[in-house]
Amino acid sequence: MSTNHPNHPNRDESTSNRPERPVTVLSSMVDTERGLVSPEIFADEELYRLEQTRLFLRSWLFLAHESQLPRSGDFLTTFMGEDPVLVARQPDGSLRAMLNACRHRGMTVCRADLGNAKSFTCTYHGWSYDGSGRLINVPEHDTGYNGELDLEQWGLVAVARVETYKGLVFATFSPEAPPLVDYLGDMAWYLDCLVDRRAGGTEALGGMYKIRLRGNWKLAAEQFVGDNYHAGLTHASAFRAWSGPRDVTRAPQPGPAPAGRQFSSRLGHGTAGFYLEEAGAAAVRRGRGPDADLLARYHEQILPEVRNRLGVERAGGAASTAATIFPNCSYLANIFGSSSLGVWHPKGTDRFESWRIGLVDAAAPDEVKAATARMLHVWPVGLADADDGENWGGIAVNLRGPMVRRQAFNFQMGLGHERDDDPVYPGRIGPRWVGELPQRGFYQRWLEFMTSEGWPHLWLESPRQ
Amino acid sequence: MLDSTSASTGVMPAAVDVALQHEIEQFLYFEAELLDDGLFREWFALFADDVRYRMPTRTNRLARERHLSASEVGEFNLFDDSKQSLGWRVQQMETGRHWAEDPPSRTRHLVTNVRVRPAAVSDAEPESFDIRSNFLCYRNRLQDEVDLWAGERQDRLRRHGPGGWQIAQRTVLLDQAVVLSKNLSVFL
Repeated sequence: MSTNHPNHPNRDESTSNRPERPVTVLSSMVDTERGLVSPEIFADEELYRLEQTRLFLRSWLFLAHESQLPRSGDFLTTFMGEDPVLVARQPDGSLRAMLNACRHRGMTVCRADLGNAKSFTCTYHGWSYDGSGRLINVPEHDTGYNGELDLEQWGLVAVARVETYKGLVFATFSPEAPPLVDYLGDMAWYLDCLVDRRAGGTEALGGMYKIRLRGNWKLAAEQFVGDNYHAGLTHASAFRAWSGPRDVTRAPQPGPAPAGRQFSSRLGHGTAGFYLEEAGAAAVRRGRGPDADLLARYHEQILPEVRNRLGVERAGGAASTAATIFPNCSYLANIFGSSSLGVWHPKGTDRFESWRIGLVDAAAPDEVKAATARMLHVWPVGLADADDGENWGGIAVNLRGPMVRRQAFNFQMGLGHERDDDPVYPGRIGPRWVGELPQRGFYQRWLEFMTSEGWPHLWLESPRQ
Repeated sequence: MLDSTSASTGVMPAAVDVALQHEIEQFLYFEAELLDDGLFREWFALFADDVRYRMPTRTNRLARERHLSASEVGEFNLFDDSKQSLGWRVQQMETGRHWAEDPPSRTRHLVTNVRVRPAAVSDAEPESFDIRSNFLCYRNRLQDEVDLWAGERQDRLRRHGPGGWQIAQRTVLLDQAVVLSKNLSVFL
């Protein structure tokens, strides 16, 4: 099979400046049937701008965990795509999200990352908004504006919809978007392994990890959606330092690799892959050291409760995996002693930021929460992430070269070996612990958002319960 | 006990003996030399077995909530290491497969503003000092990658044998809310 991409490598840059160019060319750039993706989608400025509107103005995007905003007046600031957003807890207990930009000149109205406040005053001319975004004070209103400015019309722009799934708060700018639970679709079955293991769900640890990375945000999203393949080599030093020469993610015994599965949703989500047998799952779940021992004991203690809530499969192997909720919310569930969830915020074609929170069962004892916090030194901050940053950054540098950008990337691992009728696992299932099925699903969905004039068709494949 | 919010009282403390000041500064310079020369195993030996090596995350807060701007123990920290887990990071450097530092970065650790204060420890413990110092670390990597990290170290140094010191505790306040380097694969 040729690795050159049809149409794309030889297209003439000089005649391709028509406004419709990105959409017409896009379909040839993402060929998931053949497992070929053009590097242009990670580098092209025009596509990046289109992505900001077609993808980020329409998808459901992760904002926060409910527990980060427990009291009335609590707020945090984040981004939806490149748009700045202010999320605030209302006196009635609901959450509102609004553009963090003053209606007068667009200055940031809240420059703190989080806190508690009754109102937000723009530092430029002093327009002042209450916690719901209502404009409550305008200097010189009665004089300069002659009392004629209608304050009701000039509140902060509300994000169209905010919905919560088991503690995770998402929002979309699109009034046309389906309900969050439909958007998650078959992903919810897997996500429950992270957020619904115990009564009371999860809570976020205090503090948030934010780091600016080089590369295109999709490189990170696709890694979490399906790329267990990289772990053995990219993270070789982490495994060797941590567990000795044996790579804990590979076969614990000599012989064939333990059975695993990958999940790919028709809606673009996916899990990087999980082991079916307890031996493999335990190796991925467990860490090393006294904190890991404590967490392993905790896991054994709660196992009956988890099995009761979620069933045997989701209390076992399927509970430990990396995953991406399309497009840019990724998590690590029950891996090496901790769970974390975050967002890849785009900051241009070759920059993005990773914002991550640690998650623990709300019902867990304090010593378990503290141990979980300490285990975050493995992932995401410590031993492992450093080497991911090296790879994504190196790709970004190479994509400045026009010849590199003409060579399609290979997404062919496991092509044609998936099945849609797995008796246990919902969604499209890849037959191994590694593969590129979820990545192909991710880019197929990305293409649908990028090429669709309206909100893309919602493929409703009812998740099995 | 040092913590990330142990801000100055506004009153200048008494200066310690100039020979002690000199000795401690020389120890910190030696530590920096080990890091910049890539002698991580030797660097690791400077830490006490009961060390806690912590680097909080930093957040932008309203001025009246400034005391909340560094994460605490039990929250998300950039580093929160015991001697054992700090050792894993050193082992990682020695695997020959730590791509973020292979080829190795060029680093320069600059340590300044060294302030020495006697630590409140029990009579049973060795003589100890609480040291606040400022650092600037420059990293140059591969062709043209440059990172700069500035911040404060809050160390507890403990007498260890004749003329020797151990780092019994370190809290690193990195002055970045968003970590601006693609990783923190160096020791600060």
